[in-house]
Amino acid sequence: MEREVATLETGAICCAWNYCGQRLAVGFVDGSISIHDSLDCPAASSSSPSSKWKAHGSRVLNVVWAPPECGDAIACICDDGTFSLWEETEEDTQQPTWKLCKLFESSGSCALDLQFSVFYSSLKMVAAYSDGCVKVYELLDPLELNKWQLQAEFQNVLDSVSRFGKAQCTSASIAWNPQRGESQQTSFVLGFSSDLPQFNSSKIWEFEEAHQRWIPVTELALPGDDGDKVDAVAWAPNIGRPFEIIAVATCKGIAIWHVVLDRESDGRLSTEKVALLAGHDGEVWQLEWDMGGMTLASTGSDGTVRLWQSNINGVWHEQAALDCNGAQS
Amino acid sequence: MPGRPSDPGGDAIVPFLPDFREPAFHAVRHGVRPPLFRVYVSWSRGSLLHVACLRQPSTEPADKGEDEEPGGKVVEVRLGAGEGGISEAQRRRIAYGSAHSFALLQTQKNSLMAVSRMSSSSFHGEWWQHVLEYSSSISELLVTRRIPSNTIIEDPRMIVQTLEEPTNLKAAWELMEIFFVDKQSSAWLPERLVDWLEDYDSLLTTTESTVFSKLVGMQKELDNLKVIEDDPDYWEGMSSALAVGWLDTVVRLLRLHGSYQLDQLDNREAENGLVEAVSFLISKMPRLRPDLPSEKLGQCYKTKTEFIKAWEEWRGQINSLECSAFWVQCGHHQTREGLQKLLKIMSGNISNLTSTTCHWMELLVSHFLYIRPFMVGLEGINSLARKCRQLKPTPHYNGLMSLLIGILEESPEVVLAECSKSFGPWMVAHGVELLTAGSDHADILLHEERYNLGGISIEELHRLVYAQVLSSHPLTWQIVPTYLASCLKHGVCLLEILLYKQPIQHQQVVLKNLEICQLYELDYISQNIMKIAGMYHWKHGRKGFGIYWLQLAHDEVRLNRIAQQLFECIGKSLSDDSFKQWEGLIELLGTQMGSSGGLEFLHKYRDFKRSLKQVEDGRAANAARQAAESLIQLMRSPSTPQRFWLPLLHDSVKLLNWKAQPLLSVSETNLLLTKLQELSMAKQRPDFVDANLPPHALSSVRLALATNLGRAILEEC
Repeated sequence: MEREVATLETGAICCAWNYCGQRLAVGFVDGSISIHDSLDCPAASSSSPSSKWKAHGSRVLNVVWAPPECGDAIACICDDGTFSLWEETEEDTQQPTWKLCKLFESSGSCALDLQFSVFYSSLKMVAAYSDGCVKVYELLDPLELNKWQLQAEFQNVLDSVSRFGKAQCTSASIAWNPQRGESQQTSFVLGFSSDLPQFNSSKIWEFEEAHQRWIPVTELALPGDDGDKVDAVAWAPNIGRPFEIIAVATCKGIAIWHVVLDRESDGRLSTEKVALLAGHDGEVWQLEWDMGGMTLASTGSDGTVRLWQSNINGVWHEQAALDCNGAQS
Repeated sequence: MPGRPSDPGGDAIVPFLPDFREPAFHAVRHGVRPPLFRVYVSWSRGSLLHVACLRQPSTEPADKGEDEEPGGKVVEVRLGAGEGGISEAQRRRIAYGSAHSFALLQTQKNSLMAVSRMSSSSFHGEWWQHVLEYSSSISELLVTRRIPSNTIIEDPRMIVQTLEEPTNLKAAWELMEIFFVDKQSSAWLPERLVDWLEDYDSLLTTTESTVFSKLVGMQKELDNLKVIEDDPDYWEGMSSALAVGWLDTVVRLLRLHGSYQLDQLDNREAENGLVEAVSFLISKMPRLRPDLPSEKLGQCYKTKTEFIKAWEEWRGQINSLECSAFWVQCGHHQTREGLQKLLKIMSGNISNLTSTTCHWMELLVSHFLYIRPFMVGLEGINSLARKCRQLKPTPHYNGLMSLLIGILEESPEVVLAECSKSFGPWMVAHGVELLTAGSDHADILLHEERYNLGGISIEELHRLVYAQVLSSHPLTWQIVPTYLASCLKHGVCLLEILLYKQPIQHQQVVLKNLEICQLYELDYISQNIMKIAGMYHWKHGRKGFGIYWLQLAHDEVRLNRIAQQLFECIGKSLSDDSFKQWEGLIELLGTQMGSSGGLEFLHKYRDFKRSLKQVEDGRAANAARQAAESLIQLMRSPSTPQRFWLPLLHDSVKLLNWKAQPLLSVSETNLLLTKLQELSMAKQRPDFVDANLPPHALSSVRLALATNLGRAILEEC
């Protein structure tokens, strides 16, 4: 049932796969990054990385692949609060090398998570910071990853008028609406784990073309739960459903939300929490939808991968659990 | 535990039902010593899951020892594989073969619907015919041939031998065909089940005995037996085989009877006569069916009346044999008992049938053969089957039996669930066609659009699920479009995502991708793939190839940026050799991007540079004139960026000072002077980009233009 595809070097603390699952970027405790290739080649396990370099002076917190429309590029978030963008280039006869495109310096707050999304020919990047701030950047030149413009900066709160104090956030999770093509809507969902409850709950942010601004269109939390710290969010690919499905993990479990993005007469979005899935004993680390948005995979501090599906009556249940706590190979 | 499903008062809108099936639990073997620091997952292709298990990083500096433990392992977990007891290669063969049949059926459905608009009864008549063809072509695919044994000469003692390896998948498929599709033979449904049992009796259960397993056991003993008819297992095996209608096996076994041996004939004439009489009756058993394979025994009758007549006659013969006086002359006790038991079975004695069969399905079939040969209608069969299950209870029904029960109980939900659970997504995606052809209830159930499923029907859902399974393998993803094309609501979008996720660094994959896009008119995604390929090659040193793909993608934004980069590059070093490096790219960019102003400039610029070079090489007059013409065109063109004006003019000083004759007319020179004046005014603006030219460049151009003007005026006078 399983097959080993890569061995990671000592000190690996985070990793991410590219769009087709063939390349794996690994972040290390000493600030290095390595890339493993051809993960799907059934012939052999990729034991040594194709490249490895020192990206930062200290621990890498997270690595994120940019969409393939930019070539092969990754963002690397470091625990000193900075993050950097790297891309693979190749000149004539030389081996491909990874070069630094841009370093985003820390300005008092640390970057916690960032995600990219392609809109027609432009690339957007949203980054969440430890003070509860969200910054949206736009790439000015589709060929070069070094020219970014800060498009917006806001706090993850519903009330945009009153300013809140600076929050202390320990983690953040962002997921863009994965919809592509003509009907694409510029929106993402974002949740924090912080000491200020207003910042925590997941909110869907949408770009309002008319006023060229980002507005929080809805909150994915029921009254009473809206201060819960958010561990992870994931927006399911929508292959034609009349509603979006978004998974939000908090200490209470993984909530599955149905969101209809077409506004009702009062201008609000219709949201419905259709399930609360429990099973992970402790924190949820990651949520990942499959390509059709039908199965949700989650990982958690109990060392298991759990797979969740809805049956034909719309009832969500745990389909399978993969226990990773055993060492035998 | 927080939020455990059993928590009362948990705020789950859909609480877990207490009788929910436990999730499948699987331990992943990865070789990393616990405790784990982190587990990462990613869906690779289709339903393949990549799982990375990372070890707690040590705080001490890593030493590079040989026995150093890895920091983590990445494993690929294949989900939902391994159903039906079929090998991976066999599964792929079935996947490819069935895709063709599936596509053909969909085409037939569409054309039939277009003609008959679904309403007329002719649709159903014809449709069944198509589904039947589809079903048999799939059934053909599911055959696993057994490698024939070494012996060429048939061994008379070989009583159980089949050329086909019976598989659960084929058995299940045939059950569906028998009940849902093959309407023509519904009149002899019992006989079809008899045939089915003969092929698949070994699959009824793996834990308990069956007639088949009895015969296999007996087969092993045969070689060790000297006097076969003394062995009670011999008679027991024959009775069981007869009860389920394996007539030829029984007759073959009877012929092994000791009384046939030449040295015995004299003493055992009557006994041998009785054995032969029974085997004759067995071979003449009337069957209500259109035909029988040539090697099979029995007499076929197509109509009920003919059958009844023959049946009564046959039963009469059995009765008279039972009452015959010859039994007294049969000295061999076991033979007498055994043969009489066979006769009882043939005359439909319930207690004999019940005791000689092992499994409820076998008992059911024996009822069809000897008690109720006219049984039709699922309701009747089902109640009989229920009685048989009570008489022969089994603690656990396997997938095949659960499927049969679902079919008999006319519950498409159960059939679907069993297909999915025991035989996997292939079976469901393909079997749905049989199920919907067979019953209106199933048709409505499977085609009804459901909000919970995102507005699709169960049929479409299962096709989508199967498509995801197919996309998990590099050798099967290409047939995914066949299935997605039949998913009217969600198919296209899933196909787009699938195509988007294919690795573009392999040229073959890109071409295949684009071919699929063209076939299904997915322009948006094909442009996207070409863009991605373009960027990949552009970034990886194959700039020309990159431009080629971007052009095919009509990606004006990126091409304009490339053109811009070329300007910048050229602007920095106008007379540099690096121009050569870009020349080819300009050529490439020029072929299709005529509309883009920047590229038009690059083209003219290239012409200008070429002529200028010829001038420098000494190929004078004509080249110089051409260069001057290009210069004027460039300067007139609104697409020539202002920052190029001065470098262009500076390059042309030689032309302006052309000794033989002034190359530019008065008006042309005036144009250039105006441009020069504009340029000196623009210099004051903050956004002015200064070309890297010597400080005297402007004045030398100014002077050269004045000289040319003077000479041109003289010339034109």
